Amino acid sequence: MLLRASGEHSGDDYDLSALLGKSGDESGIPNAGVLLEFAEAAVGADPARLDAARAAVIEAMGGEALADAAGVAALFNAIDRVADSTGIPLEDDKAEMTEGMRDQLGINAFGETPEPAKA
Amino acid sequence: MSTLSFEAAPVPIRDEVAAALPNVWARIGEPGTWLTAEQRTAIAAEARNVAGCALCAERKAAISPFAVDGEHNHLGALPEVWVDIIHRVMSDPGRLSERWFREVTSSGISPREYVELIGVVVSVVGIDTFCRGIGQDAPEIPDAQDGAPSPETPEHLNIELAWVPTLDPDHDGPLQREFYPGSAAHIRRALTLVPATARSFWEMANTLYLRGDQMRDFGTEYRAISHAQIEMIAGRVSALNQCLY
Repeated sequence: MLLRASGEHSGDDYDLSALLGKSGDESGIPNAGVLLEFAEAAVGADPARLDAARAAVIEAMGGEALADAAGVAALFNAIDRVADSTGIPLEDDKAEMTEGMRDQLGINAFGETPEPAKA
Repeated sequence: MSTLSFEAAPVPIRDEVAAALPNVWARIGEPGTWLTAEQRTAIAAEARNVAGCALCAERKAAISPFAVDGEHNHLGALPEVWVDIIHRVMSDPGRLSERWFREVTSSGISPREYVELIGVVVSVVGIDTFCRGIGQDAPEIPDAQDGAPSPETPEHLNIELAWVPTLDPDHDGPLQREFYPGSAAHIRRALTLVPATARSFWEMANTLYLRGDQMRDFGTEYRAISHAQIEMIAGRVSALNQCLY
């Protein structure tokens, strides 16, 4: 939602599907490709992939940008677990504002887990 | 003294990050609100131990993680229920359920202990991910310090918003003013059953991400990456974690 708001503020039209698997190169966000690859590698388990992704961010944007990108990836890797483990719901107004976007991106399917019936 | 330092970091680290994260890390080794320092360091060690757990891998691959029984590959320092919470939160957080939460909190851990446990786990997740991201070794888990926990139960709790009780923003009090400055977004309420846990988490969050007032100030860039780049990274990580919130 804040990505969309950021685009509205700057007058840019960002492709939100970059969030869910596209390379990011067509998102309209500068250096999206290297940043998305870094984000995936930072929360993944492949050290070689992370080394390459880190080097690409430094080359394209510098070390300070790498540190801030790492900070955001780290914080959301943590805060997602806060949200999911405490069962906090999405605020009604946010749910309403993002209904179409979440449906378009398939986000509404997250967390749909069948549980076996209790014996 | 914290076992985490960024003095020799491979890239420049903002001063507020270099100050905050060692504080958050050191607290893992201190007595908490409901948990001892030994329990807190054992939780941190178990969180790091999840990566090689065969049961977690099997559950992650299953249609439902609740359909697969077995024993976790664990370090043996914590009760079975605590181990299961840590492993599920680390390996498959997007498929936790309220029914599962009700079951675990009626079989060996109270909601306030649960919240403090979650606080330790997410501190490990945040700091380990950050260190890996910048190319620095993850810090050693701090030694457990002497002392007893300092119990604190906030007044005016809301028991309807989430699975865990949360500090009710409709009452005016010092904790409300501290945790809800201008906004009581649900995520800000999530850990408030244990104020020290919430406080430590937001110390980490405000420095690694943005403070609430900075999030919507699109006219100012506070980081070396733009608001749009920040939110794109946040969105991709949350998508990978299957986080609806």
